[in-house]
Amino acid sequence: MHSQLRASFVFAGAMALTTIFALCQAAPRQPGELAWAIHYDPKTFDPAKVDDEASEMVRYLTGGVLLRINRQTQTLEPQLAESFHISLQGTSIDFKLRDGLRFSDGTALTSVDVAWSLRRVLAPATQSIVAAEFLSPTQVTVDTPDNLTVRVHLPKPVIGVGNIFDEIAIEPANRPSEGRVTSGPFIVTDYKRGQYVRLSRNPNYWRREASRDKLPYATGVRLDVLNNREQEIALFLRGEYDLIDGPSADHFAMLSQKSPHSTRDLGASLNTEQIWFNQSSAAALPEFERAWFLNRGFRVAVSEAIHRADLARIAYDGHATPAFGFISPANKVWHDNELTYPHESAADANRMLSASGFHRSGNQLYDSAGHPVKFSILTNAGNPSRQKMAALIQQDLAALGMQVTIVTLDFPALIERLMKKQDYEACLLGLSNAEPDPSSMMNMWLSSSPNHQWNPSEKTPATEWEAEIDRLMQLQASSPLQRDRKAAVDRVQQIVADQQPFIYLVYPNVLQAISPQLRGVQAAILSPGPVWNVESIRREEGAR
Amino acid sequence: MKKRIPGAILLLLILAAALTVWMSRFDYAFQDREAIMAPSTAQHWAGTDEVGRDRMVRVAAALLIGLTGATAAAAITTAIAALFGLLAAFSPPWMAKILMFVSDVFLSLPWLFLLMMARSLLPLTASPMETAVTTFLVLAALGWPACSRAVYGGAVQLRNAGWMIHGQACGLKTRQLIRIHLLPQLRPLLLPQFLICVPAFIVAEANLGALGLGVGEPLPSWGAMLLELDNSALLAGSHWVFLPIALLVVVLLILESFTTEVEINA
Repeated sequence: MHSQLRASFVFAGAMALTTIFALCQAAPRQPGELAWAIHYDPKTFDPAKVDDEASEMVRYLTGGVLLRINRQTQTLEPQLAESFHISLQGTSIDFKLRDGLRFSDGTALTSVDVAWSLRRVLAPATQSIVAAEFLSPTQVTVDTPDNLTVRVHLPKPVIGVGNIFDEIAIEPANRPSEGRVTSGPFIVTDYKRGQYVRLSRNPNYWRREASRDKLPYATGVRLDVLNNREQEIALFLRGEYDLIDGPSADHFAMLSQKSPHSTRDLGASLNTEQIWFNQSSAAALPEFERAWFLNRGFRVAVSEAIHRADLARIAYDGHATPAFGFISPANKVWHDNELTYPHESAADANRMLSASGFHRSGNQLYDSAGHPVKFSILTNAGNPSRQKMAALIQQDLAALGMQVTIVTLDFPALIERLMKKQDYEACLLGLSNAEPDPSSMMNMWLSSSPNHQWNPSEKTPATEWEAEIDRLMQLQASSPLQRDRKAAVDRVQQIVADQQPFIYLVYPNVLQAISPQLRGVQAAILSPGPVWNVESIRREEGAR
Repeated sequence: MKKRIPGAILLLLILAAALTVWMSRFDYAFQDREAIMAPSTAQHWAGTDEVGRDRMVRVAAALLIGLTGATAAAAITTAIAALFGLLAAFSPPWMAKILMFVSDVFLSLPWLFLLMMARSLLPLTASPMETAVTTFLVLAALGWPACSRAVYGGAVQLRNAGWMIHGQACGLKTRQLIRIHLLPQLRPLLLPQFLICVPAFIVAEANLGALGLGVGEPLPSWGAMLLELDNSALLAGSHWVFLPIALLVVVLLILESFTTEVEINA
């Protein structure tokens, strides 16, 4: 043990030296190259098989697409397709390609390549997660009437079908190259596992600036694989990185002090942070405990006891917005401005608990059978804001007489408990919403879905209100009229606010740090954030 | 004389910590939400942490919990080691071999991963105090093998000593011999082992806490407070975040000085 103690000090010293050494390390930047960090290695460079954030970033930077969602206006813009037309019935889409398109290797890009790329994504063998967005991918057919026209036939209308083409990269027919031959702004030129992905400019990229300048401006992009925020920030402050998308609130405050012109708070994001109780009948919970979680009065009382303004102010240093529903006010089209929800009031929470059969004795709350109300809240390790929120909620609920323990687990262990074992009582986590359209949230709200977190994979809806949510979400996904869709989604928001299956806490703000040397960055809250118009971004050497 | 100065410093630290926890108007879990990461003030001498808890009270409570837990765990582990070592020394050779083999197996296990595994098996609803007790019990249960090897070696030497044979010839039973004669003889061996275990367990708890597997919130612990050092934004915000690590180093140095002194005397 004596030697272990000394070894601990030696180990700590070695770690400190290693960290200092590592902080000095970053692959050398090439002239005109942009650089930032991705947190994990991309799982794949095959654009059809992307299912993780890092791979998605590479696909975005390299893949040419028929249509692109403008991340600022949230509208569709033609890219490789010069124009497109959706039939009145919504079952056919015609794309007219631009003339003279070329892949990065100089070969011509025609409708044959587009059809091949679309069919590859639709084929079950590819196992593309994008295919599911067509609802019945195997029944979708693609025709090529001529070299510049592509026609896609759908078996039934799909709401927001145009958005799906933002995720399908067009590759040379029968020559999948994993990003080496592309029709997007960059091509993959070098990859060192665990170190970096290097992209270089596509010399045949179709797009030009109004001034006829060839795009992209940057000669390349270096994506360093780095899962250490401290190091990422140090490298940004030293000018090694050009941007940080989503620094923590703590780091954002520090960056604002050290480099005031580089930080941007774009206001509430589409993402939510929420807490929920395990209501699953498959959960290994005592019956009395499950009865608390099934009790609407219990859930509403918990919601009323939480000081959301404190969560935003303390856990996010003010860079978050209190949340009461699943659609953020940043989502202007779908947010329900008339939503009514339980307001913060300890007195109302106590009354609600009394009415639901709970009683206080001293500092402890008991249920009607005399069981003390104690439960744990799981959250993931390594997220300081969540851990702070959990500590604040622990004290807020102590005021109601609830004994809460906080358990932080690493992410795989947490997911194992949530998704496989159903072995937890309450959980505090966040949800990232990449798209504003509520159809993208179907997998969370349909009671039959494995991602219906509070009670996954229900054979039939467990409650009437869950059945109503099922019906309304199906309705919004199939109705051709925006007015009907909005009414259905508003009703779902109200049911969720009344029943509180998810107790929403905050909408974290979109925080970004952008080097003052970058020109052409356009602020956007949708992924991939500040680099959504990467082809127009350039780095001016010397400008600070 | 040399031993008295660090001893006095440690005693003073413990007294000051006890007085801070006892006399302070703030509970270690109380969140002053209007004073987040506050600097040193008349109300909060060492400022507050990220959720407005008084840093001085939390550091003081962590010191008391860490020292008490580590001392108790060291006592338990030394007792287990003494029992195991003596049992092996006074058993038939084949049994001694088996017992020492078991000890070696324990010794070769990756104890940090075992600690993590044992700690993660606790029920999620375990209260913070239960997690603290379990953490130190697990440390005690895994810390004895090296010590038991040393005890076994010492006891085998003493077993064959002339006075032992004389005692047996006088009709003293083995149990009496161990209690009256052998254990006092083993004291110079057991005391350093005990003293080595105390700082080692404090460091082990801090390691576990830094991995999120130590004492549960809101009970303060070295490990949880050392986690703050992982955040450069906090380090830039207040110098008081260094208080826990500074105090930990002081306590460890004092405990190390005890061990060194006892080893020299032995």
